[in-house]
Amino acid sequence: MSVDLLPRPNPRAPLIASGLIAVSVVLLAIGSYIGLFHAPPEHFMGDVQRIMYVHVPTAWTAMLVLVVAFVCAIAFLFSQRWKWDAWLEASIEVGVLLALLLCVQGSIWAKPTWGVWWDWDPRLTSTAVLCFAFLGVLALRRFVEDPLKRATWSAVATIIAAADVPIVYMSVKWWNSLHQTQSTPQTVASSMVTPLRINAFGILFLAAGFLVLRSHLAQRRLAGELAPPLPERAEAHVQPTLGGAS
Amino acid sequence: MTGGIITGGWEFVWAAYGLTFAALAIYGGSLALKIRGEARNDQEQKR
Repeated sequence: MSVDLLPRPNPRAPLIASGLIAVSVVLLAIGSYIGLFHAPPEHFMGDVQRIMYVHVPTAWTAMLVLVVAFVCAIAFLFSQRWKWDAWLEASIEVGVLLALLLCVQGSIWAKPTWGVWWDWDPRLTSTAVLCFAFLGVLALRRFVEDPLKRATWSAVATIIAAADVPIVYMSVKWWNSLHQTQSTPQTVASSMVTPLRINAFGILFLAAGFLVLRSHLAQRRLAGELAPPLPERAEAHVQPTLGGAS
Repeated sequence: MTGGIITGGWEFVWAAYGLTFAALAIYGGSLALKIRGEARNDQEQKR
């Protein structure tokens, strides 16, 4: 297997990421303000339902980012370009962060509505499996030093872990779940759609900013790992040390 | 809860929003610090 082209980090990446994050902060501030103070309380859940305006956008974006990881894994295995490995690392890390937040938000919402912090319901269980599967891929990347083996093994592991993404999405339809079915603008009252949409774009832009920054860092590290040694260092490495030969 | 309707619960709402935005801010801050560190290393290497 031959892998071509050293990764070339885009020097404008931090600027692009800053723009995306700035837009996301404005959107999240507006969306959360409307969701917390202007949207009406839900008939049965009351004010607790306001958690939806942050929980559902986190869920959508987490699933999307982990699908991006799957696409990057396929792209690396087929194209052998290092930039896909950098994007893979970034998307797994951001996806895991969002998936963990999703579990925490869900748990906080579950306590007042279901009476328990956690239940081994199909949706919750499959989401927990998703978190641990991708955490495993991150651990694998941490422990493998050879860049080529790390990239190939983690791409294969990502493809296996990503098989859980459609299971998470469909779990509420396939099994008798305590969790409600998917929330979409069609299933939510129109007065609740605006904050949901604004926060969805806010979290999406934030995740995009994080992805750009994190992949930039990964590309820089890869460029350092894969760059040939400087001539004087290579020479010093080859020459035997004085008195070293016996 | 009264008659199947949940009353109150703002503490759960604040906890969910607070934890979410705190975690996202900490992660974003850690990325910004790493980027700044890399930029500082580049400048030192140029000198």
